[in-house]
Amino acid sequence: MLVRRDADDLREIRPRTQLGALIVVCAMLVLVVRLYQLQILRGEVYIVQSIANFRKTLFVPADRGVIKDRKGRTLVENRPSFDVFLTPAFCKGKERDEVLDKLALYLRLGNEDVERIKLDYQKSWFSKDKLERFKPFLVLLDIPRDQVDVLEAHKTEMSCVNLIPTPHRQYHAPQSLGHVLGYMSEVTPDELEDSPEFRRGQTIGRRGLERRWERELRGADGKQNIAVDAKGRELDKDTQEALIPEPERLVPATPGNNLVLSIDEKLQKAADTAFIGRAGAAVVMEAKTGFILAMVSRPSFDSNKMSGRISRAELKAISDDPLKPMLNRVMNENYHPGSTFKSITSALGLETGVVTPSSTIFCGGGYTMGNHRWRCDKPQGHGPLDLRHALSHSCDVYYYTVGDRAGLDALSDMAKKFGYGQPTGLDLGREISGYLPDSKSITPESGSARAHAINASIGQGEINVTPLQQAVAYAAIANGGDIVRPQIVKRIESPDGKVLREFPPEVVRKVGVKDSTLAVIRDGLDAVVNEPGGTGYRSRLPDIHFAGKTGTAQVMKLGKQQKLDPTTVAYLSRDHAWFAAYAPAEDAEIVVVVLNEHGGWGAEAAAPAASKIVAAYFKIMREETAPPPAPPLVAAPAKEPSVATSTVVQ
Amino acid sequence: MSLGVTEKKLDNLHWPLVLCTLIICSLGVWNLASATKSAPVLLALVQFRWMIFGAVAVAVLLIVDYRYLQTFAWPGYVAAIGLLGSVAFFGKRVLGARRWLQIGSLQIQPSEFVKLAVIVILARWFTRDETGARKGYYGLFDLVRPFVLILIPCALVMKQPDLGTAVVTFAIAMTMVMFAKVKWRDLIVMLATGAAAAVFAWHRFLKDYQKQRVLTFLNPEAYAKGAGYHAIQSVIAVGSGQWSGKGWGEGTQNQLAFLPEQHTDFIFSVWAEEHGFLGAVVLIGLYAFLVLAALDVAANARDKFGSFLSIGIAALFFWHAFINMGMVTGLLPVVGVPLPLFSYGGSSVVADMLGIGILLNVSLRRFMF
Repeated sequence: MLVRRDADDLREIRPRTQLGALIVVCAMLVLVVRLYQLQILRGEVYIVQSIANFRKTLFVPADRGVIKDRKGRTLVENRPSFDVFLTPAFCKGKERDEVLDKLALYLRLGNEDVERIKLDYQKSWFSKDKLERFKPFLVLLDIPRDQVDVLEAHKTEMSCVNLIPTPHRQYHAPQSLGHVLGYMSEVTPDELEDSPEFRRGQTIGRRGLERRWERELRGADGKQNIAVDAKGRELDKDTQEALIPEPERLVPATPGNNLVLSIDEKLQKAADTAFIGRAGAAVVMEAKTGFILAMVSRPSFDSNKMSGRISRAELKAISDDPLKPMLNRVMNENYHPGSTFKSITSALGLETGVVTPSSTIFCGGGYTMGNHRWRCDKPQGHGPLDLRHALSHSCDVYYYTVGDRAGLDALSDMAKKFGYGQPTGLDLGREISGYLPDSKSITPESGSARAHAINASIGQGEINVTPLQQAVAYAAIANGGDIVRPQIVKRIESPDGKVLREFPPEVVRKVGVKDSTLAVIRDGLDAVVNEPGGTGYRSRLPDIHFAGKTGTAQVMKLGKQQKLDPTTVAYLSRDHAWFAAYAPAEDAEIVVVVLNEHGGWGAEAAAPAASKIVAAYFKIMREETAPPPAPPLVAAPAKEPSVATSTVVQ
Repeated sequence: MSLGVTEKKLDNLHWPLVLCTLIICSLGVWNLASATKSAPVLLALVQFRWMIFGAVAVAVLLIVDYRYLQTFAWPGYVAAIGLLGSVAFFGKRVLGARRWLQIGSLQIQPSEFVKLAVIVILARWFTRDETGARKGYYGLFDLVRPFVLILIPCALVMKQPDLGTAVVTFAIAMTMVMFAKVKWRDLIVMLATGAAAAVFAWHRFLKDYQKQRVLTFLNPEAYAKGAGYHAIQSVIAVGSGQWSGKGWGEGTQNQLAFLPEQHTDFIFSVWAEEHGFLGAVVLIGLYAFLVLAALDVAANARDKFGSFLSIGIAALFFWHAFINMGMVTGLLPVVGVPLPLFSYGGSSVVADMLGIGILLNVSLRRFMF
């Protein structure tokens, strides 16, 4: 039964076992060296990584600074609300689909939303950066209270979903101040790449003041560090406290700074109501300081809507709208100034000596240069007119003559002095310069320099201005020659109300014309409103003495190739109506410029609105300062209102 | 046999090996208790029960001379292959692989016992075969039969699929072959040809997605949650243990479930995280001691059969420990190989205990003729 002991074989095996033992010891030493490398040499690195594993950093959104009007009334504030975030790393495969189904049910998501969330999930999951999947992305913005409750109730089923209390913007006058305030929206992937200070899902200011003062308003997000397990579930309180040191548990957010604007909420509302056109702009500016009290650009957009959940279809509707709601017409669109430009041509005439206040020019209903005849708006002619009457009756022939005699370049230079052809410097994002033709820029095919001068003298031809430039120019006429820089922010305050930065009024330069010249123009502008026969006479106010100038800007004829329905064509071929005013006439406090796109005649479609805005301003001032000061009285009572109605400006 | 002989036998028992096994078992249960702290069932206790069962079985089997195993080599081998075959048909599917056989409330993993069966049958073959004695060495063609014996179970295990166990089984068998009278030249030729063929096939014929598929097929767990996740988390766990570890039950990687499979394949990470470099070196030392003791038993065995059995068992412990710890520390790719007496699993524990039993049995009878 016993097997013969094979001594030979065993003798052979023994040395091999010794070799085997050596190999075993070496192999085990390799492991020891590896452990030394991992645990001792790189231990610090891995301890950090193991902490990063269980430590989940939730951001604590900072309260964005509020924006107030000049009287401290809130224009934008933050209201408490909740955003839903999802961390891809914590739900994979089947769990992901279950969570998405649940979210769709609880949040009543449409297909479009579900697809978007799936796409975001994929993007983050398949990102080259493996840590990307640990970063929460935005599922849905600003969910209603009842959905917050539902999600809270189902919290344990969806450990990858987080409800983050995020203050959202509440705009009090969302439409009317849309262009001034702007709106908020999520940072784009490109922006995230460019600026590491942004986090995913963060909303930042777009357009207007929200964008311009993003850095001041934003504040700094705080952080909350919590301990989670591998599935992203929050651990119990004791473990939390053991794993995360006290000072690191919560880093509070730093709220953003507040903006105090020069905008007057009441006047803004009044201006918005007074402006009845479909499209256009109205701006009210302090004549001496340049602070903007009200600013309307229509059509506008709803800042609340734009900042909240807005569907792709709604966004497309806005971008496809032919009236371009996103365009701030006050500073980013230009128009022919029409007859409002006659104030500038007046200054040109007086400064160059082409006319004097008392010299007259005969209007026979037209002006002939070469073989072309420019008609006056009054075909039968105004007869002999001095400057005052030429301005108040808005006689074209008078200004054709002045423009032709002084020349295009002189006219262009004078316009430049008043601030046209250059940005006014309002710190509210992009601003266009408008356009002033001169003898170098015109092309021979478009007519001679003389013809251009004649066209430009009444604000037609190639000359283009923005409503804001008009406000600056008329402010200079009204305030005695100061070109002011329009401003809309008065100061920046810390959250506790300390003034951090004050913006004093800025006079850019003197306009550079004689005081007497401005006085003559003011006299004429006074007559426009307050003298029978003045083109703005119908819009005069019984208790407030204001001055201004009507304007009707001819619009380019539309080409037939544009496929627009007849009513739109009819609308788009109508003239733009202007009114530029200041009040009180003798010592102006405010300048009001109204532009009613395709509104028709300035006297009818712009002057009444300007007049209402002026009235509203003094009413607000009276209410605010008790006892109310006596308003300036109208200099001359109305005598022949019928004349004004029959007079039409061109 | 008289009682006196039995008393003498107890003196001859390899006590250092017994002690070393006991220490590893105790540390294993203690460590498993930490790894499964949050589990609803006391898995450490279950493991402990299996160890007791294994120890009792070993004690009983010590009475029987290990040479009877020669008689049971073929039936045991056939039974093991049969079990493996039935796994393919009736096995329980876990994470895409059929590895377990459900018998009543008991789940057994036949591949663990197949290793023992292969060790026994190879030991028997090398003992019985006369070619080696006649020629003075084994040529490559003389080894065709043992290779068939090795490759049948390996192929069945691969089919489950369980790359780790297949690799370990093959490595154990190859180790035993190396201890037979095989010329070094032939060994090198065998290894080189095999490696070259594999590498060539891999690079020449397989496209990237096919490689990925092969890897996923062979090793489903590693790719189930994204490639590399296991390996990364394990290395973080080990590394963050630093010198002395985070303390029992305090390993965040382990306790917060960042470590995957922390009670089975990645049990060493738990140990290294909670007991640091010092604890890990102690454990490596224990395994090294175990393997060296097995080699010592092999060198001093009474006969060729006992010697080959011991070499097989030494290889079993060495390859398991080395591959497992190498994988956990990121030196080797992630393949599912348990750490003997540390990883949770009844089949593996019982098989390991039986292996220790064989060693004790061989050493006990080293002076008997």
